[in-house]
Amino acid sequence: MAPEMSEKTQSSRATRLARWLVSGPPLLFLAVFFLLPSAIMVLASFRYPGEFGGLAPLFSTVPGVLHGLTFETYQFFFSDIIYVQVFLKSFLVALATTLICLLLAYPLALLIARSPKKSRDLMVLLVILPFASNFLVRVYAWMILLGPQAALSQAINAVLALFGLTPVHLLFSPFAVLVGMVYVHLPFMVLPLYTNLEKHDPMLLDAAQDCGANAWQRFWRITFPLSMPGILSGAALVFIPVLGMFAIPDILGGTGDMLIGNLIKEQFLGTRDWPFGSTLSIMLTLAVLAVAWLAARLGRGGKYYA
Amino acid sequence: MKSKKQISLRQDCCTAGLCRTLGVLAGLWFLLSFTPAHAEDVLHLYNWNNYISDATIARFEAECGCRVVQDYYSDNEEMLAKLAAGATGYDLIVPTGNAVEALIRQQVLRPLDKTRLPNLGNIDPAWLNTPFDPGNRYSVPYAYTITLIGYNSEKQRALQFPVDSWAVIFEPRYLEKLKGRVTVLDSQRELLAAGLKYLGYSANDTDEAHWKQARDLIIRAKPYWAAFNASSYIKELTVGNIWLVHGYSNDIFQADLDAQKAQRGFRILASIPKEGAVLALDSLVLHKSGPRPDLAHRFINFMLEGRNAAELTNLIGSGNPNRAARAYIRPEIAASAAVFPGAAQLTHLEMLRDLDRRQRRVLSRIWTEIKLR
Repeated sequence: MAPEMSEKTQSSRATRLARWLVSGPPLLFLAVFFLLPSAIMVLASFRYPGEFGGLAPLFSTVPGVLHGLTFETYQFFFSDIIYVQVFLKSFLVALATTLICLLLAYPLALLIARSPKKSRDLMVLLVILPFASNFLVRVYAWMILLGPQAALSQAINAVLALFGLTPVHLLFSPFAVLVGMVYVHLPFMVLPLYTNLEKHDPMLLDAAQDCGANAWQRFWRITFPLSMPGILSGAALVFIPVLGMFAIPDILGGTGDMLIGNLIKEQFLGTRDWPFGSTLSIMLTLAVLAVAWLAARLGRGGKYYA
Repeated sequence: MKSKKQISLRQDCCTAGLCRTLGVLAGLWFLLSFTPAHAEDVLHLYNWNNYISDATIARFEAECGCRVVQDYYSDNEEMLAKLAAGATGYDLIVPTGNAVEALIRQQVLRPLDKTRLPNLGNIDPAWLNTPFDPGNRYSVPYAYTITLIGYNSEKQRALQFPVDSWAVIFEPRYLEKLKGRVTVLDSQRELLAAGLKYLGYSANDTDEAHWKQARDLIIRAKPYWAAFNASSYIKELTVGNIWLVHGYSNDIFQADLDAQKAQRGFRILASIPKEGAVLALDSLVLHKSGPRPDLAHRFINFMLEGRNAAELTNLIGSGNPNRAARAYIRPEIAASAAVFPGAAQLTHLEMLRDLDRRQRRVLSRIWTEIKLR
């Protein structure tokens, strides 16, 4: 009996060790690159801004030097509805971007997944090809494409002129921001969808057809529910980066296109108010976590179908 | 943002063999020529992008038998942040007025030894003794930029909008003809200052009620503006998409040069509004951490010579505080009021003072309201 016992404990110790070895590095990664920076941010949000940027010291014996911790920044955040409005607006833009990406990406992913195996790799390569050039360069290219001298603007305004309508400006508008957001994030929706759709068993569709389901029913009752995990991971991959994006509104946006990312960037680079920038970042992180939690819950619901 | 021009030198080797031979020769030359005595004569200059002529640098290097190594920044905040984070070894920096003040208060600047600067007399006294550095204990004026109105000459002729007042930026009656063709700077301080000036207040007014008046003025004009823009408006002016801007004088100079080079058939002109405008004076200062104050003084004195000071103005159209430089500046540039404002205009120009943390926060909220409404 005894040797058997020791063998058992040994093997359980080995599995425990293996578990730690496997989950250790990612946990460490999470601690160093997420928890630690978040903790620094939380601390920064309670400190005073430094006179020339940065933060005022925590401790100081020099009289007249501002130091210590304060709730002032949080009071400031909640003192005005305007910051909540910026959050809401960013959420709306992120939501719209995600929906448009989904509508555009789904047929494409389906097409790739149902193509002959030979051509799939090439098509996936084409989807990720834009990553070969710099993100900012691609966004700047939209400045030319949407500019008033470009064919697109000229054509739209010629049509509008036929009906006696005033010409529109495509560049520097909420429309341009949405175009930029969708363009940049589309591959992040296509890839998880494709990975999911590719794994579907074609036999299921055949069976459904044999039972008399038409094309729409086959899609809506079989393919779509099965692709739910792909949709959710794609949505998360689009929604969350869009929420924090500041470069696209900066470059393509007009006079009213301030999103939460722009506001945070401005606190650090323009206003020299790190505590307020940190407060806004914490609020954003909490909002993103809430969305991720929601997505995870919905995702669990999705398993009913599978 | 200052206008920038990047020059890249690239030599293509035709064959790998030639490359290898050249590499060996270069290595030998490197070993032979860089004896320790030479390597120590290096001046470290922390400067704006494209803020000194290559010809000037080359001439100084020949004259002193030393090397000038430059590092670049594109705004004062960036430079201050880098120094605050512990960057050292810079002999000379070229900050704007309020950043000079910040550096003086942080006690990181080395006082000037004026006995080593015989050419200091070349500076126009109007540019000395600024509120930032009374008595110029630390700073020598280098160049300046004015924030003013830039416009497309042909469109102005056709539409006849006024260019001598901020009214054209803020009043809907003028903006109606310009809808979607106007950009203003994406800078809280600069735009607010333009609004305050138009309302008849000082650019440095910190009364919150006046700020709110300026905010309302900006929000009323905003629907007519294409964008808040601090970088791509140079290109948009040159191409002809944007006809009127609130921008920096040297950027407008750059847009004009580009438009002429591309033979667009129009010029991009600048005008200082009669209500006054913001002036940014950049000065040479010595950082305490710089190992070569001797070379730094020598460089400042060299830059104070008229010919050397003129080269920057000829290159980027910056304002020049040096009286001796006038003779070397191209006449069409010297004639521009945006580069050399007259004495009467000069009294309307103001340098921005730094705001304290509460004021910065209030201004930031006003700015958020402006952007959101």
